[in-house]
Amino acid sequence: MGNLIWHEYARLLTITSSVYTIWAAFWGIFFRKFFWDFVGGIVRAPGGLQPSKSNAVFITLIVKAPIIQLFAMLLAFAILAMEVPLPQLKGSSFHRNFVVRIPMLLLQAFLTILFYQGTNASLWSMISAACYARAVVLGEVMKEAKDNRGKGGRA
Amino acid sequence: MGESWFQREFLTPRRLAFNVIFYGIHFFLFAYGWYSQATNTKLSALNGLKWSVWTSRGAGLVLAFDGGMILVPMLRNVIRVVRPKLQWLFPADENIWFHRQVAYSMAFWAMVHTTAHYVNFFNVERTQVRPEIALDIHYTQAGGITGHFLLLIMFLMYSTAHYKMRQQCFEAFWYTHHLAFFFMIGLYSHATGCFVRDSADPDYIPTFPFYSTEHCLGYESWRFTIWPGIIYFGERVWREIRARKATRLSKVLVHPSGAMELRIIKPSFKYVAGQWLFIQVPEISGFQWHPFTITSAPEDPYVSVHIRQVGDWTHALGERLGAGPQVVSAMTKAAMAGAEKDEKLTIMGATRGDFVEIDGGGARPLPAVRIDGPYGAPAEDVFNVEVAVLIGAGIGVTPFASILKHIWYRQKRGNLGSLRRVEFFWVCRDAPSFGWFQSLLQEVEAAQADPNFLRINIYLTQKISEDMLWNIAVNDAGAEYDPLTLLRTRTMFGRPDWKSIYGQMKQAIEAGQYLPGTNSQLRTKVGTYFCGPGVLAKAIKEATVASTSSAVEFSFAKVGLLRYSGIGSHSLFPCSRNISD
Repeated sequence: MGNLIWHEYARLLTITSSVYTIWAAFWGIFFRKFFWDFVGGIVRAPGGLQPSKSNAVFITLIVKAPIIQLFAMLLAFAILAMEVPLPQLKGSSFHRNFVVRIPMLLLQAFLTILFYQGTNASLWSMISAACYARAVVLGEVMKEAKDNRGKGGRA
Repeated sequence: MGESWFQREFLTPRRLAFNVIFYGIHFFLFAYGWYSQATNTKLSALNGLKWSVWTSRGAGLVLAFDGGMILVPMLRNVIRVVRPKLQWLFPADENIWFHRQVAYSMAFWAMVHTTAHYVNFFNVERTQVRPEIALDIHYTQAGGITGHFLLLIMFLMYSTAHYKMRQQCFEAFWYTHHLAFFFMIGLYSHATGCFVRDSADPDYIPTFPFYSTEHCLGYESWRFTIWPGIIYFGERVWREIRARKATRLSKVLVHPSGAMELRIIKPSFKYVAGQWLFIQVPEISGFQWHPFTITSAPEDPYVSVHIRQVGDWTHALGERLGAGPQVVSAMTKAAMAGAEKDEKLTIMGATRGDFVEIDGGGARPLPAVRIDGPYGAPAEDVFNVEVAVLIGAGIGVTPFASILKHIWYRQKRGNLGSLRRVEFFWVCRDAPSFGWFQSLLQEVEAAQADPNFLRINIYLTQKISEDMLWNIAVNDAGAEYDPLTLLRTRTMFGRPDWKSIYGQMKQAIEAGQYLPGTNSQLRTKVGTYFCGPGVLAKAIKEATVASTSSAVEFSFAKVGLLRYSGIGSHSLFPCSRNISD
C-alpha cells in the first residue's frame, strides 16, 4: 500500500490504544468485573452474574482488588512514555526498537481483555502490534532526528 | 505561530462565533438529552441507573447531531451551488476544516457515550432491570454490536486521516475513509431494536419501522440524520454518471522542471478560473480519484492540470505516459541547475523554457482519463474591482495560473470589467522547482502590451548561501532577465512587508499616480485574492484592514484550495498537487 511508513502509522494506533487502556482501566477500578465471568457463571436477580469457583483467581485479581486494571494502566503509561516519547527515552536504543513494542502491546492486549471495560483496548492493541510487526518485517528504521534545528543566525 | 490558542479561538470574531454556536449546540443538546431522560416518568425504571444513563442519553443526542453533520461538508456539489448565495457565511473552501471539527467533536462525545454505557450495562446486569447480562447488550444486541464496530471504524479512519499519513500514502487514507459507508449504516441502525424502552423486553411490530413507538422511546434520530447520508450517496452516483461523459486526454506536455501538463478535452465540463477537479486514470487505478487545481483558463479549448511525480500514483502516471523518472530527472536537473534561457546547456533538446510533447501518436496511445468537478470557489469577482492583488504562497500559486490566463484572455477581448491593474505576488521558498509556473509567467509577462497593467512580484524566502548570493549578484547585474526566474521582473529576497506594500499602494492611489485619470470622487476598490497558509492570510488581511481609507477600499478574499492552511508550511507540498501526494 503506497509509501505508508508502518511504524509511524502503528505509533498513532498505539497511542490511541494505550490512552483507551488507561481510560478503561480507570473505570475498571470503580466498576470491577471479570470479562469472562459468564463462563460457568450463573445469573441471579438481583445481583447479576455470579462467577464460577474455577475463576476465583481472576475474581481476586480483578474484583476483590483491581490488580490487573492497575497493571494495565501502568503498562499503558510505559508504552505512552515510549511513543510520545519521554525526553529521557528519546533517541535511546529502547525508544528506537520496534520489536520490543510488540510484546508490550500483546501484554497490554492480554491484560485488558481480562476485565470488562478493556475489550476494545485489547483489540486495538492487537491491531497496533500487528502494524509494528509489519514494520519489523519490512525492515523499517526510525528516522534520525535532525539535531541541527533551531540554531539560527548561521544562514 | 505568533498567536496563542486563546487569541486564535476567542479573539477572532468569526472563530469566536463559530465556537459559541457550534459548541453551544453541543452542550445544549447534551443538557436537553440529559434532562429529557432524567424527567421522563415512563423511563423511571431506567432512571434507576442514575447519572450514567442521563449521560449516555445526552451524549447520544449530541452524537446524532454530529452524525448528521459529518457528511454535510462533504456534499461538494450541493455546496458549489449553494455557496455563492451564502458567501457571507462560508467565505471559502473551509468545508474540510468543518468536517474535521465535527469529527473531533464526535470522537470526544463517543468517548463520553461509551463510557457511560459501560457503566449502564454493568448496573443493568447487577440490578437485572432487564433480564440480561452486560455482555448480552454489548455483543448480541444491535446497539452494542454497531457501537463497537463504529468505534473500531473510527480508530482506523481517524488514524489514516492524520495529515502525515495522508501525505505518506494518500491511498491508505482514501480507501480507509470509504469505511464511512459502513460507519453510516452502523450509525443509522445503532439505536434500532427498541433500545430505549419502558418495558423489560423490546416491543417489536411486524410493519415498518418494526418497533412500536408506544414503548420504544428513543430519539428516533435516524429519521433526520439519514438525509445527509442519502444526499451524499446520490451525489456519489451523480458524480459517477457525470464522470462517464466523453473525455479524452489530447496531449501531455512534460515541462523541464518535471511537471506533466495534462490537456484534457471534455465538452460537458464547464468551470471558471480558480476551481479544482478530481482526475482518474482507470488504467492505473479504477477507484482512485485525485484532486488537482485546474491550470487552464475557461477560454482554453482544453482543461489542463499540472502534475508533479511525487507520490506512487503520480509516478505510475508518469511511467504510463512515457515520462518516466529518467526523462524527468534529467530535465529537472537541467532546470534546477538554472540553465540559461537561450542556449548553452541543452539537455535532451530542451532548454529551461521548453517542454517535451507526448501526443500518443507512437506505439502506445494515451490512456483514458475521467475527470469530475469542478469544485471550489470561483474567482470571478476580480473583474469587479479596479485593482486586483493576487497573492499565492508556495503551493498556493496554482489557482493563479488559471486566473492570470483568464485575465489575459479577457484583456485581449477588451472585456476587463472595472479591472485596471493587477498586482501578482508570489511568495515561495525555492523558485526553481516551480519551473512550469515560471514558463507560464514568462508567457503572460511577454504578452503584456501595457507595462503598467500587470506587475509580478516574486519573493524568495529561503535562506541563501554566500556562494549563491555572489552568483546572483554577478549574474543579475545588467542582465535582461532575472537569473533565478528568467522573468524581466527581479526576484526579491526575504519576506514581503505587507503593511508597507499596502501603505504605499494606498498613497499612490490617493495621489493619483497609480491609476492615472481616476476620478477622485469615487472610492477605489482594491481586492486581494489569496491562496496559502492561514498565518499569512491573517497578516495580509490585517494589512488590508489597516490601509483602508475614505478614498481606497481594500477587501480580502481567499481563493482556491485552503485545505492545508492549518499546516502552516507550504514547503511540505509539491506545487501542482494541492490535496494529495
